[in-house]
Amino acid sequence: MSERRPFHRAQSRTWWARKPYLAYTVRELSGVAVALYGIILLAGLACLARGPLAFDAYRQVLGGAPSLLIHLLLLAAMLWHVVTWFQTMPKTMPKLIVHGRQVPQTRLTTIGLCIAFGCSAALLAAVILVGALA
Amino acid sequence: MSRGIMHPHKKRSIAPIFWLLFGAGGMVSALFGPALILLTGVMLPHGWGIPERFGDFAHADVFARNPLGKLVILGVIALFCWHGAERLFLTLKDMRAGPLPLLRWATYGVAALVTLLTLALLLEIGF
Repeated sequence: MSERRPFHRAQSRTWWARKPYLAYTVRELSGVAVALYGIILLAGLACLARGPLAFDAYRQVLGGAPSLLIHLLLLAAMLWHVVTWFQTMPKTMPKLIVHGRQVPQTRLTTIGLCIAFGCSAALLAAVILVGALA
Repeated sequence: MSRGIMHPHKKRSIAPIFWLLFGAGGMVSALFGPALILLTGVMLPHGWGIPERFGDFAHADVFARNPLGKLVILGVIALFCWHGAERLFLTLKDMRAGPLPLLRWATYGVAALVTLLTLALLLEIGF
């Protein structure tokens, strides 16, 4: 009987912190920042359910400098998530063929980023407009 | 072993559910995430570009009581968390950070808890 003894190359425990894998780690963790933002909103919802006093306390925290810094960091991570999301999208979807030609992946990334920019810009513009008219 | 070929339906996985939630959260956050963070984290709390009262209890309460507002709140909070959970789970798995059941509970489990909590809070706030 021959026993199967596959070769395992030694891998350090911190491979994910080194190039070229670091880009992968940063991309994946930018997705975790998305969840952290969701948790911040959940905290706001919990305060809202408890009443005006709790919600005012939440707003006070959100108005502080640490919160502003955290949100700017989350924004940076979110923007990286947007870029990498649309870089990955063409690789995970079926080939898109228009007029017998495959649409290049870079084109799909550009289209996705344009749509994303349009959505976020439209939402911001709508809220600012409502605020200006109110 | 031809078992898998003869009975392709025997081994069904629930992974597609997590992938669906991951994908939905990834797409919603990619499309509206930057604007949402700017709105709720930067502009509303400081009254930059929008009236500050838009962020007060009365306005937030009206939004959270509206059925459509509830749907937006649930969609954003739950899907964003499912998205992060999937990514964190796969990354921790690749890092070999711990036994898989533990990693699943620490990621999918938290996302499920967040979803239930959001639903309960939205019901508590009422219509």
